[in-house]
Amino acid sequence: MADLFSNLSLGFLVAASLQNLLLCLIGVIVGTLVGVLPGVGSVATIAMLLPITFGLPPIGALIMLAGIYYGAQYGGSTTSILVNIPGEATSVVTTLDGHQMAQQGRAGPALAIAAIGSFFAGCVATLLVAALGAPLTSIALLFRPPEYFSLMVVGLIFAVVLAKGSIPKAILMVLVGLLMSQIGQDLETGVGRMTFNIPDLADGIHLSVVAMGLFGFTEIIRNLENNTSRDILKTKIDGLMPKRADLVASAPAIGRGTILGSILGILPGGGAIIASFAAYGLEKKISKHPEDFGRGTIVGVAAPESANNAAAQTSFIPLLTLGIPPNAVMALMVGAMTLHGIVPGPQIITKQPELFWGMIASMWIGNLMLIIINLPMIGIWVRLLRIPYRSLFPCIILFCCIGIYSVNNSTFDVVMAGVFGLVGYWMAKHDFEPAPLVLGWVLGPLMEENLRRAILISHGDYTVFFRQPISAALLAIAAGILIVAVLPTIKRKRETVFVDD
Amino acid sequence: MTDGVDPKAHGGLRIRNPQDFWGCLALIGLALFSLWAGSDLPGIQGFSFGPGTAPRVFAVCLLVLAGGVLLWSIIAAGPAVGRFHARGPIVVMASILAFAAMIRPLGLFITTFACFMIAAAASKETRWLETTLTAFFFTIGAVLLFFYGLSLQFQLWPAFMQ
Repeated sequence: MADLFSNLSLGFLVAASLQNLLLCLIGVIVGTLVGVLPGVGSVATIAMLLPITFGLPPIGALIMLAGIYYGAQYGGSTTSILVNIPGEATSVVTTLDGHQMAQQGRAGPALAIAAIGSFFAGCVATLLVAALGAPLTSIALLFRPPEYFSLMVVGLIFAVVLAKGSIPKAILMVLVGLLMSQIGQDLETGVGRMTFNIPDLADGIHLSVVAMGLFGFTEIIRNLENNTSRDILKTKIDGLMPKRADLVASAPAIGRGTILGSILGILPGGGAIIASFAAYGLEKKISKHPEDFGRGTIVGVAAPESANNAAAQTSFIPLLTLGIPPNAVMALMVGAMTLHGIVPGPQIITKQPELFWGMIASMWIGNLMLIIINLPMIGIWVRLLRIPYRSLFPCIILFCCIGIYSVNNSTFDVVMAGVFGLVGYWMAKHDFEPAPLVLGWVLGPLMEENLRRAILISHGDYTVFFRQPISAALLAIAAGILIVAVLPTIKRKRETVFVDD
Repeated sequence: MTDGVDPKAHGGLRIRNPQDFWGCLALIGLALFSLWAGSDLPGIQGFSFGPGTAPRVFAVCLLVLAGGVLLWSIIAAGPAVGRFHARGPIVVMASILAFAAMIRPLGLFITTFACFMIAAAASKETRWLETTLTAFFFTIGAVLLFFYGLSLQFQLWPAFMQ
C-alpha cells in the first residue's frame, strides 16, 4: 500500500509538470473534438499525430496520445445522443437509448449522465490500473491463443444477444463481418485474399470506412426518406442537468458499467467497444424493465458510457505490462513507444517507473479536465439540435468524406464508404443490424490469428478449446448466453407458424 | 419500415417472410461469391491453417445459417421488404462520387462547396439561398479546421491556380 502511494506521488509529480499538463489538455481537447466529429476517429487522429510527437519527450507524447483516446470516449457520446451517429465505434450502443432520449427532449440529462459516468469510471479505472497493474499481469499471462479465441467468441455472442431484433439475423451479420474482414493480405503468408488484384484492397477495407458508411451515410439516407422536420428538429430540451431520479437510476448502472468495462478493458481482444456492448447487454438482462431499452432509458446511456471509458483506460494494462496491444489504438501506442525507443512490456514498470506511473496519473488529471471542459460545453452541443436537418446532413456528408479521405489520402476509401452507405440502406430495408457486422469486422483478423495459433500449438487438435479450463469456461458462458437468449425467440416463432394458419 | 405482409406472399410464391427470404438470398450469394473468390487460396496443410482456411470457414457458416433462415422464412410469417426511395441514396452517392473525383484536381475549397450543394439536393426541403450561405460558411470552417487546424495533407486550390 505504501508502495502504491509513493508510486502514485511519483506519477503525479511527473504528470503535473507544466509541459505535461499542457500536452494532456491538448490531448483531451483534440480527443473530444474527434470524438464529436463523425468521420474523424481516434485511431486516425492518433495515427496522424504520431509523426508530430516525435519532437516531444516520450512521456509527454504518450500522455497526449492517451488523452486523445479517452477524450474521444467523452466526445463520442455527444454525437451518438444528438444526431444518432456514433462519433466513435465505442459509442455505437449509446445511440440506442441516447438518441431516443434526445428525441424525447432529454438530450441534456443524457449528455450529463454520459459525462458523469465517464468521469466516475475514469477515476475508478485510474485507481485500478495503479493498484492492479502488476498483480493482474499474472492473470493475463494465463491467456494463450485458445483462451483469446474463446474470449472473442464471448464478445461476439454478447453483441448478438444485445442486438435489436432476430438473433439468427444478428449472427448472420457477425459472419458477414468476419468474412469481409478477411479481404486483404494474409498476415502470415502475405497472400492477397479476395482482392482481385486491386491494389486498394491489398490492406483490406479499413473499419473506419465500413463504419462511416454503415452508420454515417446510411443514417442520412434513411432520415431523408422521412419528413426531416420530424427529426432532431422538434426535440425540446427541458433542463440540461439530470434530475435526482435520473441520478438514482443511473448510479448502479454506472457502477456495474465501470466494473465490467475495467475487466473487459484488461482482457486482450476486449477493449472499449466490447465493453460498451457488454455493459448494455448486462443492464438489459438484469433490468426489471428490459422493454424500456431502446426507448430512451437513462440506464442505457450510463452503463455503456461508463464502461467504454473504464475500458479505454484499463486497456493500457496489457500494453504496459505484457506489451500486447489489445486494440487498434493500443497498436498505435506501440508505434509511438518504439518511435521513442521504448520497448513495451513488463520491463517498463521496473525500468521506467516515471513513464508508467506518470501516464496513470495523467489519466486522472485528464478526466478531471474532461469533465470541466465538457459539462459547461454541453450547452454548445445541445445548440446543434436547433440546426435544421436540411442544413446539417450535407455537413455530415462532407465531414465524413473529408475525414475518410484524410486517413489514407485515398479516394477509393471515400467511394467504398459510399458503397457501404448503400449496403446499409439495403440492410435497413431487410432489418439487418449494422452493429454486429462491425464487431465481426474488428474481431475477424484477431480471431483468425488466435484460431490458427491455437491449432498449430495443439498440433491440429480441435478439441483444445474445450480442454483448457479457462477457454472451456468462456465457451460455456457464450453457449449459456446464447441458449437463454434464443429459446424464447424459437418459442415465439413457432407460435407465429401455428397461430397464423 | 413497413410492417404489413406482402399480399403476394400468400399467393403462388408461398414466401411468408419476404424480408428474410430476399435478405438471406443475398447473403447466400455473398457466401458463394466469396467461396469462389477465395477458391485459389491454399487451405489446411498439416497442422497449420492456410490463408484460405478462415475465409472458407466463415463463408460456409454464413451459407449454412443463411440457408436455414431462408427455409424458415418460407413457412413463418414476417414483414415485407421496406420500400426503397430513389432520391436520397442517388443524390448522396452522387455527392460522394463527386467528392472522390474532384478532391485531387480541384482542391479542398471548391470540392467542399460543390459537393455540399450537390448533397443538399437530396432533401425536398432544401432552400437554395440558405443552403448556398451555409455551404459557404461550412467550407470556410472546414478549410480552417482540416487545412490550417489539423494540417491534413490536402491541396487547397486547383493546381492551375497555384
